[in-house]
Amino acid sequence: MVEVRGVDLPDLFSSCVLALFSLLVDRRTVREAEVRSAEIAGDTEEEQLFFLLREAFLLFAAHRFLVRNAHVTILGKQVTLTVRGEPLDTSRHPVHREIKAVTAHAMAVERAPEGFLARFLVDV
Amino acid sequence: MQFKGVEIRKLSETMWEIPREGGMRVPGLIFASEAMMGDILRDEAVRQVMNVAHLPGILKYSIGMPDIHWGYGFPIGGVAAMDAREGVVSPGGVGYDINCGVRLLRSDLTVDALRPKLRELVAALHREVPSGVGSTGFVRLTAREEEKVLTEGSRWAASRGFASAEDVAFTESGGRLPGADPDAVSAVAKKRGSNQLGTLGSGNHFLEIDEVAEVFDDAAARAFGLFPGQATVLIHSGSRGLGYQVCDDYLVTMADYMRKNRIDLPDRQLACAHIRSPEGKQYLSALAAAGNYAFTNRQLLAHQARETFMRFLGMGPNDLGMRLVYDCGHNNAKFEEHEVDGEKRRVLVHRKGATRCFPAGSEDIPGAYRHVGQPVLIPGDMGNASYVLAGSPEAMRLSFGSTCHGAGRRMSRTQARNSVRGKSIVQEMERRGVIVVSASHKTLAEEIPEAYKDVSEVVGVVHDAGIASRVAKLRPVAVVKG
Repeated sequence: MVEVRGVDLPDLFSSCVLALFSLLVDRRTVREAEVRSAEIAGDTEEEQLFFLLREAFLLFAAHRFLVRNAHVTILGKQVTLTVRGEPLDTSRHPVHREIKAVTAHAMAVERAPEGFLARFLVDV
Repeated sequence: MQFKGVEIRKLSETMWEIPREGGMRVPGLIFASEAMMGDILRDEAVRQVMNVAHLPGILKYSIGMPDIHWGYGFPIGGVAAMDAREGVVSPGGVGYDINCGVRLLRSDLTVDALRPKLRELVAALHREVPSGVGSTGFVRLTAREEEKVLTEGSRWAASRGFASAEDVAFTESGGRLPGADPDAVSAVAKKRGSNQLGTLGSGNHFLEIDEVAEVFDDAAARAFGLFPGQATVLIHSGSRGLGYQVCDDYLVTMADYMRKNRIDLPDRQLACAHIRSPEGKQYLSALAAAGNYAFTNRQLLAHQARETFMRFLGMGPNDLGMRLVYDCGHNNAKFEEHEVDGEKRRVLVHRKGATRCFPAGSEDIPGAYRHVGQPVLIPGDMGNASYVLAGSPEAMRLSFGSTCHGAGRRMSRTQARNSVRGKSIVQEMERRGVIVVSASHKTLAEEIPEAYKDVSEVVGVVHDAGIASRVAKLRPVAVVKG
């Protein structure tokens, strides 16, 4: 179970994306060479986070792209993700583990005393 | 015995019934010894067996095998058969790694003869068989070729010279699941699969050289071509990123279907659709396609292993005698005919971490094995043993022709990693007489033998319950971990 905190929802969501990529590689080795973006929509905060993480994960799983930094904006149901990173280079980016998917199991977005808290689980 | 206020009834030394309560449509049935039930009851898997019993169209029992443990929605080690007309299909009842499975190759060599070269041989296998995260296969698939893989399965491998006719014949379902439609597989799933064919993956996937340590059933072992001291190769892998993505895509589709059709279930990871709905049919077409990818993947891994053995040992195929015993999946949903309430019914059997185990006489198993039953391959952990079983008649009466799939995890991956901090797993395995190579220390730590239940105990339960019988015990001597 991954637990992430953020001062507000955009900060929380972008931190979740970074946490996901930290499960894959040492992000300090990833250069901010390229920009990618994605848009998703969800009815609830949990749904938004789920679709956002799925989309972010596909950057790696389908396009072998690694994220160093992430920025999220939220407008109603719409969430926009902008990331900076570079394509996977196995000589410089040893991948820690194989992730099959981001799951919806026990996914939570909650108000915490100093902002927001999210929990998510990936299948390895 | 109780689970959170629910009385679990002992039916026999190996079977336990969870009575119906609330919205459960059928009771639960768990195959386990009394000693194993303690561990099983500590896990949430029993709750998951009860949740699965809520699914529309489920027949007879929601079943748990002795290697049962917690999974997403359905437990791993779970079996659920649905009426083909009224029932549902659920991606969670199959799992992310669609048609993940095991294949066993036998040889004409003994482990004693191989032993002086074993270390170099396993290093060569590690080099030649792509493993670990981010690895890519030796075949680059064009979009058209990938569609053929999805439709034809092992037959595509045969058409490209990577499989013999015998390989195809000794693969479950002839290495080709019917009804596969590449158009039901998303572009993203195809992209994930385009460069991973012929790769082992990581986690609990492996390629190992085993020695036949013990034979329990001479007639069945003879039919399977197994003898004591023999060197065999056991391969465990699945449908790689393509299968994971198919599951992920259809979990979302089915969640929408449930909302629209107001299907209310105790866990949203049980997302499902009626088998005869467009969504259900589309998933089944994608499932078959991903299953065919998995068969082809294991075929290419076997091809690479054979080629490596031949090159390294300087032997031809006839001297090596490395032939396929069997390939069986353990994450699938298949249409089969089973007797329910005294009549033959067409049902969809979900097996998530469970293996089909048809008995002698079944027309769905190769002719050469029809007098002894379907070979069932049960990998254990990397330090102890794996088993070859044969399907038994009681499986058709008790478990929709299904049995266990492995040892089953006892520790979470994190617990396993924490328990070995500072220890050399490779050295520890060497002390046990097993050479281990892996791309990742982390994976090795997660796969320590102690992380798993005792596979001999698991196999003992299904043998005593009469659903699959022991044929041979395999002892690992060299392991390539992904």
